[in-house]
Amino acid sequence: MNDKNNPAQSPDTGHVWDGNLRELTNQPPRWWMITLYLSGIFMVVYFILYPSIPLVNDSTEGVLGWTQMKRMQESVEKIQAIRAPYENKIKDLSAAAILADQDLSTYTVRSAKVLFGDRCSPCHGGGGAGNPGYPVLADDNWLYGGSIETIQQSISNGRAGMMPAFGAMMNEQQLSDLAQHVLAMAKGEEHAPGKELFTSMGCGGCHGAQGEGMQMMGAPNLTDAIWRFVPANEESVKYTIAHGVNASGVEQTRQARMPSFQDQLSETDIKKLAVYVYKLGGGQ
Amino acid sequence: METTLTEQKYNFEIVKWFSVVSVVYFLVGTLVGVYIAAELAWPALNLNIAELTFGRLRPLHTNAVIFAFGGCVLMATAFYSVQRTCGVRLWSDKLAWFVFWGWNLIIVLAVITLPLGLTQGKEYAELEWPIDILIAVVWLAFSFNFIMTLANRKSSHIYVSNWFYLAMMVMITYLHVVNSLAIPVGLFKSYSIFSSVQDAMIQWWWGHNAVGFYLTAGFLGIMYYFVPKQADRPIFSYRLSVLHFWALTFGYVWLGSHHLQYTALPDWAGSLGAAISFAMIVPSWGGAVNGMMTLSGAWDKLRSDYVLRFLIMSLAFYAMSTFEGPVMSLKVVNALSHYTDWTIGHVHSGALGWVGMIAAGALYHLVPRLWNTEMHSSKLVNMHFWLATIGIVIYIVAMWISGIMQGLMWRDYDEFGTLSYTFAESVAAMHPYYVLRTVGGFIYTVGVAVMLYNVVMTIRQAGSIPSGAAEPAKA
Repeated sequence: MNDKNNPAQSPDTGHVWDGNLRELTNQPPRWWMITLYLSGIFMVVYFILYPSIPLVNDSTEGVLGWTQMKRMQESVEKIQAIRAPYENKIKDLSAAAILADQDLSTYTVRSAKVLFGDRCSPCHGGGGAGNPGYPVLADDNWLYGGSIETIQQSISNGRAGMMPAFGAMMNEQQLSDLAQHVLAMAKGEEHAPGKELFTSMGCGGCHGAQGEGMQMMGAPNLTDAIWRFVPANEESVKYTIAHGVNASGVEQTRQARMPSFQDQLSETDIKKLAVYVYKLGGGQ
Repeated sequence: METTLTEQKYNFEIVKWFSVVSVVYFLVGTLVGVYIAAELAWPALNLNIAELTFGRLRPLHTNAVIFAFGGCVLMATAFYSVQRTCGVRLWSDKLAWFVFWGWNLIIVLAVITLPLGLTQGKEYAELEWPIDILIAVVWLAFSFNFIMTLANRKSSHIYVSNWFYLAMMVMITYLHVVNSLAIPVGLFKSYSIFSSVQDAMIQWWWGHNAVGFYLTAGFLGIMYYFVPKQADRPIFSYRLSVLHFWALTFGYVWLGSHHLQYTALPDWAGSLGAAISFAMIVPSWGGAVNGMMTLSGAWDKLRSDYVLRFLIMSLAFYAMSTFEGPVMSLKVVNALSHYTDWTIGHVHSGALGWVGMIAAGALYHLVPRLWNTEMHSSKLVNMHFWLATIGIVIYIVAMWISGIMQGLMWRDYDEFGTLSYTFAESVAAMHPYYVLRTVGGFIYTVGVAVMLYNVVMTIRQAGSIPSGAAEPAKA
């Protein structure tokens, strides 16, 4: 601050409070006064440019004709103009046809990224890396099959596989034997007493005679050491056998449901997501 | 400095009690802040206990720093300076003690109800209706006592600090009562009488003026008493104080709508708020200029007077955040800054820098005078100053980067016209800045702990810890 404003040179107002509190008669700094007036002018100009003054039923419109709704629509139009050439084609194409077109599938993957991030990755992890209890989408191991149509169907209708609870039909020893066999199969081995149970309890009806799984039923392959429910130990496998998966009427049953998105997302969005998931690496 | 005569003439006992609890609440409020900042960086810290989650503790933090700490500082300094500038004792000692115990009861009730999730869901006005009524009663008692003391004054004119306290009292009464109008449906449940966008507008009319009249006008009252006192210099310009006082008082009430840009609020209300917000930079700076120019010719005092450092640094932060806020209120900037951490950084440059530092300066001025002694350690005062300054700088820089990055990530489109980033990606990108913010807040809080230690040691060395027995009238 400049010396011209040195308070020592200015008289005070003549009032004293609490012993030594005084006020000087200095004028406010010139720059402050000027900017104060400019602020007033700014306000008036702003009021003229933008809708600012409330009237009885609406308000002044402002000479710029600016409204936040117009601004939003302009932004949306700009984006839609970029998207339109692609979106117009995608609209009428099947997911398989989009996949076949290099340009369109590049566009689709980019435009589904945020859809996937907001809708799918909370369970399936970023990039479809999977989470405990939620399948990996980036590998070629599929419960229901990895064709583009099946993926689209999974997203659209959701999935809820069913395995009955065997707890009431088996004793502790049998559960343990069967679980040990299931764990052995994953290593390409077997556990003889459990193998017998595997056949006699009818496990092969869904999981396949050799435990190779059946995508029609969404019954997982038991020989590939990829586990739907973790950790992969006897305790966990026994639990699954005893309580089943989505078994109706069984309170402690394993929960494994993928929600249906057909009421939440447009058909195009579901198509885009199917292509995106397919392209994560495991599409078949 | 103080003779026994002034001790008898003025009621300093009430000021002592408000001062001590202020420092305690300063530490509690900032500690809760550090904890919730850490929760954002490491969410597992909520320990899966509902009462400890961010949503429950955040209002506890804001209420603790604004109403417990801020309120007690305002009451301590207002009761102190009004007596001294009027040359008379408080109008009523009994009413003053009612204010003390009433205000602290409110704070205790907030500490109980907020973690339990009992809330009106209005920002900075979360407390349920029975507590709202108590706030109104205690606040009016505070104001009435202050006004009656002014009315009894021996001085011919009302000193400038008192104008600001008065503006705060009048406006906060009005704002608090209107914003809290609600229909109770149970002892701890009520519904606002306003609905939808009107409710939002009333809420932010209150919300911004809690900042404008409580944390700004009230604390400018502190500034106008303690800066010239500590510097032993006259106020630079009487005329400037008149101009910026009235400009602020008439201007501030219009600003609330800038919190609602690009919402269902009509365009005109948003523009009106933005234009007046921007025009508030200069009136706000009027206070900062008047405070700083008061030091003209005495800048050398900053070298040796650590208390003055707090006061002047607070004015620097005041000038900075009153520039930043109006810029953020403009629609074009708001489109980027709204809902991001930039807002949090802005609030904290005002709260930690302006409110926290001017309060600390005022309390360091008060404590030795109230207990008729010297501060236990002026080195620790200086240490607090540096911890506070460094903590604030780390905090606001972290939030600037994080907030602007957030805003840019949310709006970024790729060449195909689709969003570049998922929301989760923007959250992940903020993590390092959340850690940094926690560090900044922690450093600031360590400074407050140093202050509490220093104040306690000062009082102990003065040999007169405020004791209930000394003041029969306070119960």
